[in-house]
Amino acid sequence: MSVATARTITLEGATGHLVDVQVDVAPGVVKTALVGRPDASITEARDRCRAAILNSRFDWPTTRRVTVLLSPADLPKRGSHFDLAIAVAVLVAGADPRKPPVVPADALEGVVLIGELTLDGRLRSVPGVLPMAMAAAARGARAVVVPEPQAAEAMLVPGLTVLGLRSLAQVVACLSGNEIPDAPPVALTGSGPVLTWRGEQRLADLDLADVHGMGDPRFALEVAAAGAHHLLLSGPKGAGKTTLAERLPGLLPDLTVEEALELAAIGSLAGSVLAPDAGLPFRPPFRAPHHSATRASVLGGGTGRVRPGEVSRAHRGALFLDEFPFFGADIIEALRQPLESGEITIARGEEVATFPAHTMVVLACNPCPCGDYHPADRDHRCTCTEVRRRDYRRKLSGPIVDRIDIVRNVEPVRPYELLDPTARPEPTAVVRARVARARDRQAVRYEGTPWRVNADVPGPVLRERWPLTDEGQRLVDARVLDGALTRRGGTRVHRLAWTVADLGGVDRPTARETEAALGLRTGEPLPAWVLDRPELAS
Amino acid sequence: MSDRTARVALTRLAEPGYARVTSLVTELGAEAVLRLLEEQRRVQGVYSDAAARMFDLDPDRELRDAAARGIRFVTPSDDEWPPALDALALADPNGDVGGVPIGLWVRGELRLDEATARAVAIVGSRTSTTYGVGVASGMAAELVQAGYCVVSGAAIGIDAAAHRGALGARGTTVAVLACGVDRVYPAQHRDLLKYVVETGLIVSELPPGCSPTRPRFLARNRVIAALAQGTVVVEAAIRSGALSTSTWAGRLSRPVMGVPGAVTSAPSEGVHELLRSGEGTLVTRASDVLELVAPAGEAMVSPRRATPTARDRLTSRDKQILDAVPVVDAAPVPSIARTSGISAVEVTDALRRLQRGGFVESNGVGWRVVRAGSA
Repeated sequence: MSVATARTITLEGATGHLVDVQVDVAPGVVKTALVGRPDASITEARDRCRAAILNSRFDWPTTRRVTVLLSPADLPKRGSHFDLAIAVAVLVAGADPRKPPVVPADALEGVVLIGELTLDGRLRSVPGVLPMAMAAAARGARAVVVPEPQAAEAMLVPGLTVLGLRSLAQVVACLSGNEIPDAPPVALTGSGPVLTWRGEQRLADLDLADVHGMGDPRFALEVAAAGAHHLLLSGPKGAGKTTLAERLPGLLPDLTVEEALELAAIGSLAGSVLAPDAGLPFRPPFRAPHHSATRASVLGGGTGRVRPGEVSRAHRGALFLDEFPFFGADIIEALRQPLESGEITIARGEEVATFPAHTMVVLACNPCPCGDYHPADRDHRCTCTEVRRRDYRRKLSGPIVDRIDIVRNVEPVRPYELLDPTARPEPTAVVRARVARARDRQAVRYEGTPWRVNADVPGPVLRERWPLTDEGQRLVDARVLDGALTRRGGTRVHRLAWTVADLGGVDRPTARETEAALGLRTGEPLPAWVLDRPELAS
Repeated sequence: MSDRTARVALTRLAEPGYARVTSLVTELGAEAVLRLLEEQRRVQGVYSDAAARMFDLDPDRELRDAAARGIRFVTPSDDEWPPALDALALADPNGDVGGVPIGLWVRGELRLDEATARAVAIVGSRTSTTYGVGVASGMAAELVQAGYCVVSGAAIGIDAAAHRGALGARGTTVAVLACGVDRVYPAQHRDLLKYVVETGLIVSELPPGCSPTRPRFLARNRVIAALAQGTVVVEAAIRSGALSTSTWAGRLSRPVMGVPGAVTSAPSEGVHELLRSGEGTLVTRASDVLELVAPAGEAMVSPRRATPTARDRLTSRDKQILDAVPVVDAAPVPSIARTSGISAVEVTDALRRLQRGGFVESNGVGWRVVRAGSA
């Protein structure tokens, strides 16, 4: 046997492609050639593989010419996980025909090999195992060999045999059906958190029951959670914008298996390794990058391998940008795409990576640079000049805010609200139950369509298939006519009205729901019934 | 039969605020009116309405039962009777409705006259907005902090917000109901009414057990207006019951006040009409209200002005010169003198003065304005 083919996966963003690693061992000038658009880390595989094979007491065809082709040849390939496939293919192709084969050629059929080799032949973990395993399953592989620490991750993919192994020798034994030799465990590498700190679990302890007053933005938060609408909270510093936003993840319903897999795959691409006993992440993510974050960390990118950014790690959850006017203008600008299409494409040189980024965006900002201005509070202590305030406001408007569904002014809680004996702030569990019911109604309504929540549904389809009641539509039309709403704004009101109706268990948005939706979109006062939740009546 | 028991019987017999009964009671006394009703039981006419209810009257038992449930009956002869209510005798009736209440059923620890000695009514629509709710609560909180009691009708929306603001500020609030004081209406205000009765009062013209009807709300509104020294309307649509309360305040010649909303806001339309017609005075905060309801001269509000800036204190000629000083590129004195039309000598003096005041700066050749914020 002088030619052999092993298979592995290369990732382009979150998309996996099946790659044939074809090795030809033939007489000729002694040399190891690697062709098929490998990147630097694959070129280095040559040396790693050679050392690993020799140190695992196998034979490297030292006296012959070794050609490694990665095909399809036009696809750029990157990553260090090609090692295993190259090494195994070399062993099969270079086998001495006079001896029994090290690995039978047919053993490679339908098997995808993933892993980086150390010089002594151990198998090291690599980022992106979950999306690679998903791609392998989608392309008909029956088994996938992965580094042992990442077996749990790959096993999340249904219908795939996962072989988690520790060394090249183990892989060879396993493929040829021999007894698997013992090997020391290989420590997990990857950029998982080194320490656990209080902050990690902090969000889980936050409850809406501790938030007094703020009936208006509380309602806005609930609607945002129920329909996955983007939300902007504006208000003076200390008013409670962050307090509210941090309670959003608690309102979101659990992810479906499919969504959790997507999220885990993104996490895997970002380099975090799933703990063996952690299972799928069913709680929706909540990512809150600081405003000093770089473009690459928020949107995706980075040197070498393109990593998903915070916007993708918040997939199916929420991305919270506190003090968003302080984020780089290019970052804010680039959020346009995920807000519209639910994915983000990072183009760099000849590499184009697309990551899912279906997230609800929560923006918070002060109403002025000093943070004390409040348009509805005549006693505000803002010290900014009108010019500075105007410059700041200019930064707030623009294409992103135009894509935000809900705009609310958060007013500081007043002392009498804190002491109001009749106030019964609803706990997160109660609101979450209502949000879950609203999501269920949406799931039923959008059954058999590509959409899951109201925020997903395109305007024309919504108007055609799920119109407002006539009275509701008249309210929207009136505001479009008087110029208070753009056409796009009208569509957003339409979606919001459905969410308000879903929360209230109403079959079709009437004037009542539409009125609330109009208020949410325009930032105007809401009808007061939003403050008196039925669950509060005892 | 005493005056008190006669009045108890009459609150059972006649609809609240039925002007023909209330005016007769004021004129002849309760016992005489009750006797008349009994004598003319079989006579056809208005009194036959009352006759239908006459058979199972037992005022004494009614008072006993009420007392057992912490409810008392307050009549004009009681010390607790607020004299403010007597003004209703002189106010024109509104159709059939008007006159001094025959008596009031009261729940709560406080004395009614003391609780309402200084009182402001805050009323508004049930279909209100978060804006109106915020304003009503905030104003109520400030008013109770100024020692006033907040009177309202315990309805959903503005009424409830007013009560809540008063409760939250640890003040006194009085709820006037259009049903028996033992009833909870609207049902979701069980909690609210519980707290109102703990620290304030619940009042009604109707005996315990009675349910609310539309005419009873209109009669109730006159009691709200009469118990308070002034009535503030926060958000009322054009056909809102809250406007009937403010109309009663007008009939009683007490201050009628309105809090404006956005001019496009439907829930504020009634208030805007009230203000536009001149019936009501525009108020935007508690101090505005206090100025109108407090004894004359006690709570004056000085006209609101922007705080004068340093620039405002300059003489008009200095201002004229300052306006002629360029902002970006410094200009020499002759140029500034030309622009301002003031002699170079005076300009030189003035510029030195302005420099000391921090308005202008010199670069040795010319002068320019010191920009705000850069200093």
